[in-house]
Amino acid sequence: MPEYKAPLRDMRFLLNDVFDAPKLWAEMPRLAEAVDPETADAILEEAGKIAGNVLAPLNREADEQGSKWSDGEVTSPDGFKEAYQTYADGGWGGLGGNPEFGGMGMPKMLVGQVEEMVQGSNMSFGLAPMLTAGAALALNAHGSQELKDKYLPNMYSGQWAGAMDLTEPHAGTDLGIIRTKAEPQADGSYAVSGTKIFITWGEHDMAENIIHLVLAKLPDAPAGPKGISLFLVPKFLVNEDGSLGERNQFSCGSIEHKMGIKASATCVMNYDGAKGWLVGEVNKGLNAMFTMMNYERVAVGIQGIGAAENSYQNAVLYANDRIQSRAPTGPVAKDKAADPIIVHPDVRRMLLTMRALTEGGRAFSTYASKWLDIAKFSDNEDDVKHAEAMVALLTPVVKSFLTDTALESAVAGQQIFGGHGFIREWGQEQHVRDIRITQIYEGTNGIQSLDLIGRKIAANGGAFFKIYVEEINQFIAAQEGKDNMVEFITPLKAAVANLVDLTEWVMEKAQSNPNEIGASSVEYLQVFGYTSMAYMFALSAIPALEKADAEPFYANKLATARFFTKRLLPRYISLSEAVKGGADCLYELEAEQF
Amino acid sequence: MPEYKAPLRDIKFVMDEVLDMPGHYASLSAYADVATPDMIDAIIGEGAKFCENVIAPLNRTGDIEGCTRHEDGSVTTPTGFKEAYKQFVEGGWPSMAHDEEVGGQGLPESLGTVMSEMVGTANWSWGMYPGLSHGAMNTISSWGTQEQKDTYLTKLVSGEWTGTMCLTEPHCGSDLGILKTKAEPNADGSYAISGTKIFISAGEHDMADNIVHIVLARLPGAPEGTKGISLFIVPKFNVAEDGSVADRNAVVCGSIEHKMGIHGNSTCVMNFDGAKGFLIGPENKGLNCMFTFMNTARIGTALQGVTSCEGSFQGALAYAKDRLAMRSLTGPKAPEKPADPIIVHPDVRKMLLTQKAFAEAGRALVYMTALQNDIVHKGDSEEDRKAADELLGLLTPIAKAFLTEAGVEATNLGVQVFGGHGFIAEWGMEQLVRDAKISTIYEGTTGIQALDLLGRKVLMTQGQSLKNFTKMIHKFCQAEEGNEELAPFVSQLVELNKEWGDLTMKVGMSAMKNRDEVGSASVDYLMYSGYVTLAYLWAKMAKAAQDALAAGTTEEDFYKAKLTTARFYFTRILPRTKSHAATMLAGADTLMDLDEEHFAF
Ligand SMILES: Cc1cc2nc3c(=O)[nH]c(=O)nc-3n(C[C@H](O)[C@H](O)[C@H](O)COP(=O)(O)OP(=O)(O)OC[C@H]3O[C@@H](n4cnc5c(N)ncnc54)[C@H](O)[C@@H]3O)c2cc1C
Ligand SMILES: Cc1cc2nc3c(=O)[nH]c(=O)nc-3n(C[C@H](O)[C@H](O)[C@H](O)COP(=O)(O)OP(=O)(O)OC[C@H]3O[C@@H](n4cnc5c(N)ncnc54)[C@H](O)[C@@H]3O)c2cc1C
Repeated sequence: MPEYKAPLRDMRFLLNDVFDAPKLWAEMPRLAEAVDPETADAILEEAGKIAGNVLAPLNREADEQGSKWSDGEVTSPDGFKEAYQTYADGGWGGLGGNPEFGGMGMPKMLVGQVEEMVQGSNMSFGLAPMLTAGAALALNAHGSQELKDKYLPNMYSGQWAGAMDLTEPHAGTDLGIIRTKAEPQADGSYAVSGTKIFITWGEHDMAENIIHLVLAKLPDAPAGPKGISLFLVPKFLVNEDGSLGERNQFSCGSIEHKMGIKASATCVMNYDGAKGWLVGEVNKGLNAMFTMMNYERVAVGIQGIGAAENSYQNAVLYANDRIQSRAPTGPVAKDKAADPIIVHPDVRRMLLTMRALTEGGRAFSTYASKWLDIAKFSDNEDDVKHAEAMVALLTPVVKSFLTDTALESAVAGQQIFGGHGFIREWGQEQHVRDIRITQIYEGTNGIQSLDLIGRKIAANGGAFFKIYVEEINQFIAAQEGKDNMVEFITPLKAAVANLVDLTEWVMEKAQSNPNEIGASSVEYLQVFGYTSMAYMFALSAIPALEKADAEPFYANKLATARFFTKRLLPRYISLSEAVKGGADCLYELEAEQF
Repeated sequence: MPEYKAPLRDIKFVMDEVLDMPGHYASLSAYADVATPDMIDAIIGEGAKFCENVIAPLNRTGDIEGCTRHEDGSVTTPTGFKEAYKQFVEGGWPSMAHDEEVGGQGLPESLGTVMSEMVGTANWSWGMYPGLSHGAMNTISSWGTQEQKDTYLTKLVSGEWTGTMCLTEPHCGSDLGILKTKAEPNADGSYAISGTKIFISAGEHDMADNIVHIVLARLPGAPEGTKGISLFIVPKFNVAEDGSVADRNAVVCGSIEHKMGIHGNSTCVMNFDGAKGFLIGPENKGLNCMFTFMNTARIGTALQGVTSCEGSFQGALAYAKDRLAMRSLTGPKAPEKPADPIIVHPDVRKMLLTQKAFAEAGRALVYMTALQNDIVHKGDSEEDRKAADELLGLLTPIAKAFLTEAGVEATNLGVQVFGGHGFIAEWGMEQLVRDAKISTIYEGTTGIQALDLLGRKVLMTQGQSLKNFTKMIHKFCQAEEGNEELAPFVSQLVELNKEWGDLTMKVGMSAMKNRDEVGSASVDYLMYSGYVTLAYLWAKMAKAAQDALAAGTTEEDFYKAKLTTARFYFTRILPRTKSHAATMLAGADTLMDLDEEHFAF
């Protein structure tokens, strides 16, 4: 049976040693009120317990069982309902929520770590609170006071769950062409009709009500993305006194059979004149979605890390336990018939790849979360602006890069198990199947990469990008001349110079051929990702060098950083060269000639 | 499920125009008369029909249904599998590439490889039932006594019976030296085999009258390690004097695995409980005996990489032309529709071209490898056989590990082209990922293949086997000097060809100081080798296309597409060699420094 232990040591290292979160929190009054180091620590500790003791043990069996659909009702796998109750009772649903409505107002730097544990121990389950938090975020940002009063407290408490309904059979990436309609009613509400597909936890038995946020078009709305509005559509209508009323006019038509996250219900939702209320302004639905999108995208990146961490932990256990062949340099476990496979260089290569990508990813998502926190909680206008720019720039990278690397990690985690990696019972193949979705939903990784180079970089002439590069260059300047940092700073410097050069190359090429953006975007994002990870490992090296003698943890951090620098970072060389291969070779073939 | 259409035009391109397989057959006296161009065309055409119409439709349903094991140890295969197998046998397919003395049709094994490609793309899980027989047939034909051949081989060749390879045990897969299954001599000259084998593909099923297991086991008092392993034939049903199926032998399927993919194929725990077996080949030389045909078996798995790429490409291409989302960055391409088909988007094209480039060059690599195998078995001179054997030895681990890794990448791209629908079982694209993943594990993991390539094949021959191949590449490049259209390819190839040798030297030098350096470099070295090998094949394909265009053709688009895909490969894929070159030299200390106790706390 696979195991999961929350990586609390590394999380604390990031919060305290690398990013000095306590100092940051103390500087922002709204955060200073909500959190201090002791609280943060207690939260991590408790979340680790829920993840390890409550959620992880359900993961394997729930994959076999899946959610079940019958006559419009969805039954979640054994134990999910109780786990959901435990999660709600623990107050976890409101961790990042607005205190005005009963939330705890915690920073994303901390919430993200909790998310990692929840998603890492049981991704299918984790999606339910994740979508509820997302819906609550959008509602909090754009809903009327009345809607917020009525819905938010119960969503934070976990009594009600949330769902996000964007996708339709013919439209996922291209939401501009959705067809779901919303007709205004005399009482100020709307009648929503249409079919949504792929709605995660759109229906289930874990909470007494499910609050759907639905994208739809008003009758006279303009075509395309500028004609979309957002509606709140509850499964059960809510009476004036807050009690539940009648069932709303929509239902779950079926659930999908999928590659992974099988325990989560992926629902077709049929709206048949369902009663809904406008959230935010008419025709500004997509904008409203965007505000919560940054949080959700970071959360998806974190999902990847969480599951990859889980795969890593089990791979380490297996590699120490499984004996097979002798070490190339001579027997190590002489008393046994063969050596544990962790002696083999290639097995170590796979383990260290997983470890470096996961630790580097955790650092990077924590770093991005720092900017989300400053953007949200700082009272200094300049700081907020700066942070918003960084959030905009980094979010697509966190989402895509960390999910791509998570898949790579999980595949390595499977490979380390040899044939057993292919067998369900061992749990390693499930991580591969589960993680695979993270590259697709919340905007495919291809779309994220277009967002990065197109909207976040080219559209503002590289303004955000310059802020980021400036920061890294200042860091490099400050570290240069320190002997023990040379091994990290020199490669980082080269990587950043390459990234700057590549960015200029793409921006210039794109002026004459718009296809160059899309032709380069995926690899470009990867180069951006590896370079950012090099920055993260260099940042981490500073405290690690200081304390290397104090605890093996720090020396290990350095070993991992060295591995990353020498064995993973060089990937940017190939990726950059591929980008410079240009778009032409993608367009010489007519569609029929493929 | 994506519909399967056998890529006959591409297959013929590689066979006739790139590798000159007709010439190859004509040059081998064993095949000159039988493997005529007309015969080949007829066979491939018929094979394609069988694959498209009979087994492709069973692929998705086989995945959903899987196999069922019953109380008594019997296993039922998915609906339709048995009937399809019957048709396969009636069509004479199992006997195609076997010698006439044992009831075969005497056609070349490489032609069998072509058929196996079509079978495998159409339905890999199904194809494994007849596929596993190959190992058993190879064992018996290489090492069996006349009696063993008469008794077992003929039935395997005809397809009436199928075979298995029973190597793996619960505690060992890569390291067969520690296996425990025992073989005790019986008074009648047979052996009583006892032990547990796991992960035995097609170990039990309902498609054939008998199953012939080839089992690795130890004789009493056998030396420890790999030098104490012998091979045994253990039939599911004992065989009577007259060759008919007699009583049940003491070997049963104890359970079947629940797996990530290839659900249609039974993966069995086989319990041998004093089962009657017959020694095949010399005592204690079992592993050596297996090595003689290991390459053949691995070509079969290399093929899975190609079939993964091809199958997923076919599905993704059809979808990309059909699915509408967003407008092209250079302005609407289908203004009459609400959005453009996604094939207009550069990233979607990149995914499709990557699949296509791997599928087509992968096919060329496997076929080229299969030709060497033909020569090893039927070459007319010792010299030819030896040269072919060396090249085969070098190319096999590259083909097996590189192409299956490419297959995993390509099938994941196929899912990505489908967006959310790629994740949904109904569309069949995610099944291809799940099925492909086993190919990097069985028949020796990627890690083990990489050690075989760098350690045994390259360094142990002091680089000689590599030199023979790079010489071939060199000759090609020389011949194309001055060919302007190919110049961008040839110049890169010249450089890589040289770098390949240099890197080998460097790794070899550091390995002399520290044996861990081999394992530290091996997978990067293997991937590097794969990219260079495919570059050579793309250059060859470009050359063939160029020649055809120069000669005048009605198929201009077809040949131009080859040149275009070659350009794509050289500009967008081949740069991957750079990172592998850098990381293979990063040094073993980057891997060994971390204390094993410190990987996790
Ligand atoms: C398990 C699961 C859960 C989900 N949960 C939810 C949910 O809770 N709520 C919800 O609303 N949706 C959900 N989705 C839907 C998901 O967000 C969409 O599938 C995703 O946005 C992609 O859309 P699509 O499937 O229509 O793909 P398409 O838009 O059809 O894309 C197909 C391919 O084309 C590419 N492509 C499209 N346009 C471009 C372009 N302009 N340039 C380059 N490439 C392009 C894409 O990257 C992709 O590779 C879920 C999906 C799944 C499978
Ligand atoms: C679906 C399926 C079908 C199969 N069919 C058959 C079959 O028909 N017959 C049969 O006999 N077997 C079969 N197998 C077994 C398969 O061949 C083995 O699983 C495979 O050889 C790997 O062995 P293992 O599982 O014991 O992994 P291990 O040997 O335990 O390997 C675990 C990991 O350690 C690595 N490793 C091991 N030794 C070294 C080393 N010296 N240096 C570097 N890395 C090393 C491996 O690369 C791997 O990553 C099948 C397996 C599956 C899952």
